[in-house]
Amino acid sequence: MPGLSPDRGVYLEARLGALRRNQNSDGGWGYFPGKASWLEPTAYAALALAGDPAADRAWTLLSSWQLPDGSWKPSADVNISNWGTSLCATIAMARGEWGPPLKSSVNWLVGSTGIESGWLNVLVARLGLVKQERDISLKSWPWKPGNSGWVEPTVHALVALKLAAARLSSPELHERVRMGEAQLLDVRSRDGGWNYGSPAALGVDLPSFPETTALALVALQGRSDLGKAFDLAQRQIGETPSPLARAWLTIAMRLHGVKTADLTGDPPLDTMITALEALAAPQGNYKLMQTGTGAQAGAVA
Amino acid sequence: MTNNRREILAIAGAASLAGFAGFRGGSQMHPDAKSKLPLAGQTSPVAVVKAASYSEDLAGAMMRGILECGLDVAGKRVLLKPNFVEFDPNTCINTDVAVVAAALDVFRSLGATVKIGEGPGHRRDTFAMAELTRYRSEIAQFDDVFVDLNREDVSPVQGFADRGTFYFPNSVLAADLIVSLAKMKTHHWAGATLSMKNYFGLVPGSIYGWPKNELHYIGINKSILELTRIFGPKSFALVDGIVGMEGNGPIQGTPKKAGVLVMGSDLAAVDATCCRIMGIDPARVEYLQGAADRLGVIEESRIEQRGEAIAGVRTNFQLIKEYSQLRLA
Repeated sequence: MPGLSPDRGVYLEARLGALRRNQNSDGGWGYFPGKASWLEPTAYAALALAGDPAADRAWTLLSSWQLPDGSWKPSADVNISNWGTSLCATIAMARGEWGPPLKSSVNWLVGSTGIESGWLNVLVARLGLVKQERDISLKSWPWKPGNSGWVEPTVHALVALKLAAARLSSPELHERVRMGEAQLLDVRSRDGGWNYGSPAALGVDLPSFPETTALALVALQGRSDLGKAFDLAQRQIGETPSPLARAWLTIAMRLHGVKTADLTGDPPLDTMITALEALAAPQGNYKLMQTGTGAQAGAVA
Repeated sequence: MTNNRREILAIAGAASLAGFAGFRGGSQMHPDAKSKLPLAGQTSPVAVVKAASYSEDLAGAMMRGILECGLDVAGKRVLLKPNFVEFDPNTCINTDVAVVAAALDVFRSLGATVKIGEGPGHRRDTFAMAELTRYRSEIAQFDDVFVDLNREDVSPVQGFADRGTFYFPNSVLAADLIVSLAKMKTHHWAGATLSMKNYFGLVPGSIYGWPKNELHYIGINKSILELTRIFGPKSFALVDGIVGMEGNGPIQGTPKKAGVLVMGSDLAAVDATCCRIMGIDPARVEYLQGAADRLGVIEESRIEQRGEAIAGVRTNFQLIKEYSQLRLA
């Protein structure tokens, strides 16, 4: 796990300070200060604070939320497997913890798929009985088991599995990464970015969203065929009112080595966005999501 | 066997995702629905109040409708649930900010403690959505009264559809009254989206993801009925039909002026009335069929129409061809 940088700037320190102040006594973070701890804000805060004792406390809490099947639940009280399993796997690897908990989570991710890619659905699609606006034979990841695959959970699963490929390589893992990347490219909107799941509905094109465009770029690190998406991302970052989208767009461009302006302003009240802005800072820990190319993960020919 | 059933249900969900023209949201009904008719013979009041534009005195119009329906909210905790599922500056997806602001004033003036809550179906940054929809700029101290239902703390509810335990935001469960501030729109998988369908936004994305795909797999119509069964008894509907949406709603349709606010405590009766105003036969809308006499009243003869007569405000909303059979004679 990387240590703290000596000179991280006011922007980053303001966010890390806010996160430290708002950490719950159980080690986690709520979506907003003073609220119950949830996996998602806790995971992003733990990544942003990697190397800090606050991140260790967070990891202790998150570790207690892993379910026997290897997946993670989204909060202490909700016993439902959750897409945030990917984030926890990424944190485990950032911490150098490659033991059985990580292996079981990676196995769970390799076996997790959107329900639309079940054999009967694929057969029905191949027979032309149902009009499809995406190739459902390409498996992606859902928010929770029993649901369809969507862009955001697919992105986080791809990041985790590409990182895992360094030491937990298997043909199944590589195939899921290859197929996951292909799926993301298949659901790309006509404008070059990504909507939240499908490029069209009832035959009508859907526009891309800045946050999902950014996330897809995070998952597709190393590809050289994304120029139109970067043009779009550059435009979106100047137009979107969403600090969440701006943070992800900045992270995506930094991971691709694309020059981008630093974010400015005071930390928001929203814990998750605070953590993502910290990750997006020039000295932030966005590199913990650096996967290299799909080919490096042994996945893309 | 179980796998086969899941696969078959999955077809419906995948079809909804892909825009399968033949998919109409499933035909599952609540298991109890067909055997009990608890509301047989009951009547329900529904108020229709004209409002030609968003610059009119909407608070006054709402107050007239609320009083016509006999609603008393003094001392109650009220949650206003608008619809801002998505934003597109070229059309009118959302409950207009003027309607939300007026409702906030009206319910406060009636002695309620009021919050606004929504869990957008498609976008993660709810506050940015609130900015795009001008809620944040035009509703005073919006951030203090607003709850992001996608990311609020939750508590379990037992017996939702076939899921056993299902989680809902604490603000929803704690409210004495939920006001479904819906938009009058056609819907390409449900026929129409009004006060009942608006409750999809009560389901937390933090657990069930975006776009609340869990509800599609349960069945869109079944989910609408289940949400109404659980929250309908503590609800009031106030539908923004000043400018609605016709055609390929609820996102990609086109604006349609209807010039009305429609209100009442019986969500099914309000939605049935909205359908008639839109030129849709409510008896042909599957979830309203399922609600009839079980969760509310949809027969015109049993709806006590207050305010404007339907005939005076009816304006046919354009229907996509797959729903042409819904047209009211």
